[in-house]
Amino acid sequence: MKKVWFLGVTASCILAACSSEDEQLSADELAEKDWDAIKESAEGAEIGMYMWGGDDSVNRYIDDIVVPHLDENYDVTLERYPMDAPDFLNRLMSEKEAGDQDGTADVLWINGENFRTAKQNDLLYGEFTHLLPNMEEYIGDEASFVHIDMGTEIEGYEAPWGNVQFAFQYDADRVDDPPSTMDELIEWSIDNPGEFTYPNVNDFTGNSFISHMLYSVADSPDELEEYDEEWLRANEEELWSKLNDFQDSLWREGQTYPDDLSQLDQMYADGEVSFTMGFNEHRAESMIEDDVFPESTETIFLEEPGSIGSTHYLSMPFNTTEPEAALIAINYMISAEAQIKKLDPSLWGEGHVLDSDLLSEEQQAEIEEHLGDDAVEADADIILPELDSRYHDWIIDRWEEEVVQ
Amino acid sequence: MIAKRDLQKIFWLLLLFLLFIAPALLMFWRSLSPGAVWPELFSGEWNFRAWQVIFSDGNIINALINTVLIGAAVVLINFLLAVPAAYGLARFNFKGKPLIESVMMMPILIPVLAIAMGMHITMIRIGLTDTMTGVILIHLMPTLPYAIRVMKSGFDRLSITWEEQSAVLGVGRFRTFFTTLIPLLLPSIRSMAVLVFVISLSQYVLTSIIGGGQVSTLPLIYYPYFNSADSAVVAGFSVIFVLLPMLFFLVFEGLIRLYLSAVRSA
Repeated sequence: MKKVWFLGVTASCILAACSSEDEQLSADELAEKDWDAIKESAEGAEIGMYMWGGDDSVNRYIDDIVVPHLDENYDVTLERYPMDAPDFLNRLMSEKEAGDQDGTADVLWINGENFRTAKQNDLLYGEFTHLLPNMEEYIGDEASFVHIDMGTEIEGYEAPWGNVQFAFQYDADRVDDPPSTMDELIEWSIDNPGEFTYPNVNDFTGNSFISHMLYSVADSPDELEEYDEEWLRANEEELWSKLNDFQDSLWREGQTYPDDLSQLDQMYADGEVSFTMGFNEHRAESMIEDDVFPESTETIFLEEPGSIGSTHYLSMPFNTTEPEAALIAINYMISAEAQIKKLDPSLWGEGHVLDSDLLSEEQQAEIEEHLGDDAVEADADIILPELDSRYHDWIIDRWEEEVVQ
Repeated sequence: MIAKRDLQKIFWLLLLFLLFIAPALLMFWRSLSPGAVWPELFSGEWNFRAWQVIFSDGNIINALINTVLIGAAVVLINFLLAVPAAYGLARFNFKGKPLIESVMMMPILIPVLAIAMGMHITMIRIGLTDTMTGVILIHLMPTLPYAIRVMKSGFDRLSITWEEQSAVLGVGRFRTFFTTLIPLLLPSIRSMAVLVFVISLSQYVLTSIIGGGQVSTLPLIYYPYFNSADSAVVAGFSVIFVLLPMLFFLVFEGLIRLYLSAVRSA
């Protein structure tokens, strides 16, 4: 009996060792291959992608557009594994510790804080975006989101996939005079007690709402460009007094806040509050279509302080076994074709990362067509850059003390 | 004229219905009628979108099969391990028994996530990550302590005289176990099986850490939807979630009947 057990363990050790000796090219070695060679070695590969799986339209976009295209044109099979970023980072961390080079996933959907964690802990593949032909062809390097992701230098470790603006959704049947600035919103809430609230700041959306408040306290957005504790100390008083001013008028007198955006969305869908908010200015469209939000839902931006834009990215883990196929997949997902299809509200409906100067007239016309005349679009002059992720932590720390208590 | 006893019976049945069946029916209703705002119950039209979403996920059938297979395997292994362990703890006194008992309860006292991270590294080394076997093994962690507890109190309640009587009649220990102890222990076995199945069914973190998304189970597809406002889809998944243990219980009851009739005729 003992012998059998011993044999079993040895066998599985050998198996584990064998599979981890699979050939894997580093980023530098890949750089020496030209694109055709990469395409060739990607053929027949099966790759996995870690991505949050809780949005039907996002899942459909991957399953109906990306997967068939990769299969037909490159003979690459893509499968999505539904997992939240913190969860897959934990997994990668353990795999790193165990020296496992035979990773499960090859593509990651990531941004902001999680990207910073992943990069600091060497969980990513390396510099790869310069290998992607479509990066140069459609995205270029003009936009700031190509270089910085919430204060973290990108250095080619991730490729932009989508751009979304922060917007507010309200029920036009219940709100006659929608506010257009932060101060008007506060006033509206005071006049209509119990009709407005924002998610707890531990939630990304709730935190971003406070970020907008920070911007409205600042004299100009430049003041917040770099993380500046001194500025925060000098101005935080104003921020908290603004928040405390209308706290009593919030839903349940501000005694409690929705835990996350999904809870606020549900409250809005149930008619408990008149406003919800969130990244992706087009998100209401598919929600209305799916009967989640009421038909009278309208989307607005606040002209003052503006609307924070957020970018999310695609990256590769350090232990991908099919880096070539992962490159092929990412290259397709940032192409004009895939990006334009992503605009379609019936598929996903979120902003592209393309540089319109690099697009053909035809492609620009297609984008116009998708967006339509009455689509919500933020004017360029109200778009605010995303704050350094250290502001994110600061808000969590101080909000509890200043607002909740 | 309805007898008092009948009235009582109706009252209890009604209470059971309200507590256990009505919520599931309400979920089913919600999955078909999204957009209805309380106190309005019906939004005006039937809508099958939620079920379309659920069954258009290419992985759902696979995930359902995996969930049931993993759950059944976990129940079986729990039975094989918990019965001897519980028997030993209930029938014998030996040195260090309290220590062994508390070690067996350990997995539910220490945060599961902490153990899972360490186990993950070990599983990587022996090549069990991303496999069904690995997921089944890790599901033993949150289930085995309960299974041992339940079986031990089953043995505790069962007087040793049954075994002695059997021995006096010259029946071997093995046979006594299968023909006398198991039928007498059925209530404990039943609750152990259902408890273990439901715990295994609801594992998300453990399955995702060890299975890496490659071993797809129902919670892996279902839980991300909690992060959206799409309450119709969540309601639909919840209905499936309620149906699985019921289905399991029916099959399990059937197997028990078969076993009992086999024992009686033997």
